[in-house]
Amino acid sequence: MLAFLGRRILIAIPTVFLISVFVFALQHLLPGDPILVMAGEERDPEVIAALREKYRMNDPVPVQYLAWAGNALQGDLGISLRTQQPVLELIAEKLPVTIQLAVMALTIAILIGIPAGVLSAYKKGTWVDWLANIVALSGLSVPNFWLGIMLILLVSVKLGWLPASGYMPISEDPLQSIRIMIMPAFVLGTALAATLMRHTRSAMLSVLKSDYIRTARAKGLREHIVLVKHALRNALVPVVTVITLLFGELLAGAVLTEQIFTIPGFGKLVVDAVFNRDYAVVQGIVLCTGVAFIAMNILADAAYRVLNPRMSDQ
Amino acid sequence: MTTAIPLLQVTDLSIRVRGTSAPLVDNVSFTLNAGETLCIVGESGCGKSLTALALMGLLEGTPLQVEKGSALFQGVDLLSAKPETLRGLRGDRVAMIFQEPMTSLNPALRIGEQIAEAIREHRDMPRDQVRARALEMLKRVRIPAADKRLDEYPHQLSGGMRQRVMIAMALANDPALLIADEPTTALDVTIQAQILELMRSLGAETGAAQIMITHDLGVVAEMADKVAVMYAGRIVEAGTTAQIFDDPQHPYTLGLMSSMPSLAGDQERLVTIPGTVPSPANMPDGCRFAARCPFATGRCKETPLLQDQGAGHRVACWHAPVENFAANSRDEVPA
Repeated sequence: MLAFLGRRILIAIPTVFLISVFVFALQHLLPGDPILVMAGEERDPEVIAALREKYRMNDPVPVQYLAWAGNALQGDLGISLRTQQPVLELIAEKLPVTIQLAVMALTIAILIGIPAGVLSAYKKGTWVDWLANIVALSGLSVPNFWLGIMLILLVSVKLGWLPASGYMPISEDPLQSIRIMIMPAFVLGTALAATLMRHTRSAMLSVLKSDYIRTARAKGLREHIVLVKHALRNALVPVVTVITLLFGELLAGAVLTEQIFTIPGFGKLVVDAVFNRDYAVVQGIVLCTGVAFIAMNILADAAYRVLNPRMSDQ
Repeated sequence: MTTAIPLLQVTDLSIRVRGTSAPLVDNVSFTLNAGETLCIVGESGCGKSLTALALMGLLEGTPLQVEKGSALFQGVDLLSAKPETLRGLRGDRVAMIFQEPMTSLNPALRIGEQIAEAIREHRDMPRDQVRARALEMLKRVRIPAADKRLDEYPHQLSGGMRQRVMIAMALANDPALLIADEPTTALDVTIQAQILELMRSLGAETGAAQIMITHDLGVVAEMADKVAVMYAGRIVEAGTTAQIFDDPQHPYTLGLMSSMPSLAGDQERLVTIPGTVPSPANMPDGCRFAARCPFATGRCKETPLLQDQGAGHRVACWHAPVENFAANSRDEVPA
């Protein structure tokens, strides 16, 4: 397994390189000159020249890239043009918030989506299947912002059970942190649960037709063992792919949901950075998200090998 | 042997697709005594596998349904017992192995675990004993380096080895009845012979009765004490292996016998039975073989019953015994 992970990480290096080239090209391809923005209203030619020198804008593009990539490798992603904070610091500040939201949302999605998918495949064509499908369809169709607002109105305003917004680092007060985050996580999670349920259902339907399921029944195994140990385990392979992709998407920021619940996460950082032409921040975020996606894919590959021993021999 | 209570007594088993009228298996009856091997022979689609699945209670969740009949096994009617009762019998008193060893084992679980779970489900045994029993079973089906194989996955084994694992799994709880649905069809010829030999010797060792479903008369000759020949959902002839091979009475059985390639004969082409098996959607009335039968007469529009021709040799043909065929044939308009 270690050798496999090492190999996968090596293969990922060219991908990361391509992402970095793309990210670097961003500031050259997009209209507008960040130096002019930095120089302020006066646009003093001396200041501009000094800034160009400072940010090595006069060097050939490949040299600029190498300098930038070298810094990035050392964790220096530049400085936010707007807040003058190091980009890495900004990201390090927001990322845990988004990761917490993503993990909670995904947990909710898995806890709802996979059992619902298993059940509706097992009870295919019965009212259980219909109900699960209708609920899943509504989960997909209801917009997040609407569900979010309705939940705030009901749970926070009317019932006063949970806080409507805010953020508490999980390291300071875990319980309160989860209490605050549970509603936005639920809003995100239900939509993802619907996707997961559909994928689990179709994977289970095809696995349940296999010969080895008949063998399991011929052994006299109880139905829940047949379903979970024999069917679900094999059906999970495609579902794991979906889960990792969903997690990647969540990391890129749940913009609307974060906005509604005023969560200081990645989504808000992205929107602010794009609107303010804060290139360094946008670059940093794209790079981070890209690397996160690659990491998730490697994890997914590792999970396949656990679920499907046939892959371990390759 | 004939006076004892049979291990399995199947009476008038009929199976149909839910919501249709034509049965795929029609009034099938046979008995099996402890330790005996019964071969059910017939072409694909004649209902032999369905019969086996029905006895295992494995038709649940399919569009097929047992319409009527009973199958008494050690005092339990396998066709009307509660699902929970059947589940308790399956893999314990009655076990089954299937045609496709390549896909019948779970690819995600180790061989040892797949055998062990069958034991755990039916026996209250400590973990190490279960594992020891699984290992013992692998050795009994003569898998080399069994202790190493225990921790391997199905894809690391060949088809023949996988079928041995299936047999080990099926026999793990010492069943009284083993049903084998075309256990060698998917295997190479040399491996087929090994598996058949293994099943025969294990049958003798454990005393388990076997129902072997096959389309291969070679397998029948090798394995069977008794034979039931099925055609289009019905048993057309049944008897001891000697009766069926030495003295076939039904025109279909005769056709099957003469379509077997022979090394001794000087025939140049294989003999075939003209025509095709009728489809379940439009089964003819009366004898279902009549349309392909060289001896058919107007009488064949009525359904012939399985009649004992003596010594338990049962035939469903109006013209049996075979001596009458020549006299009866072609003197009336064929059906």
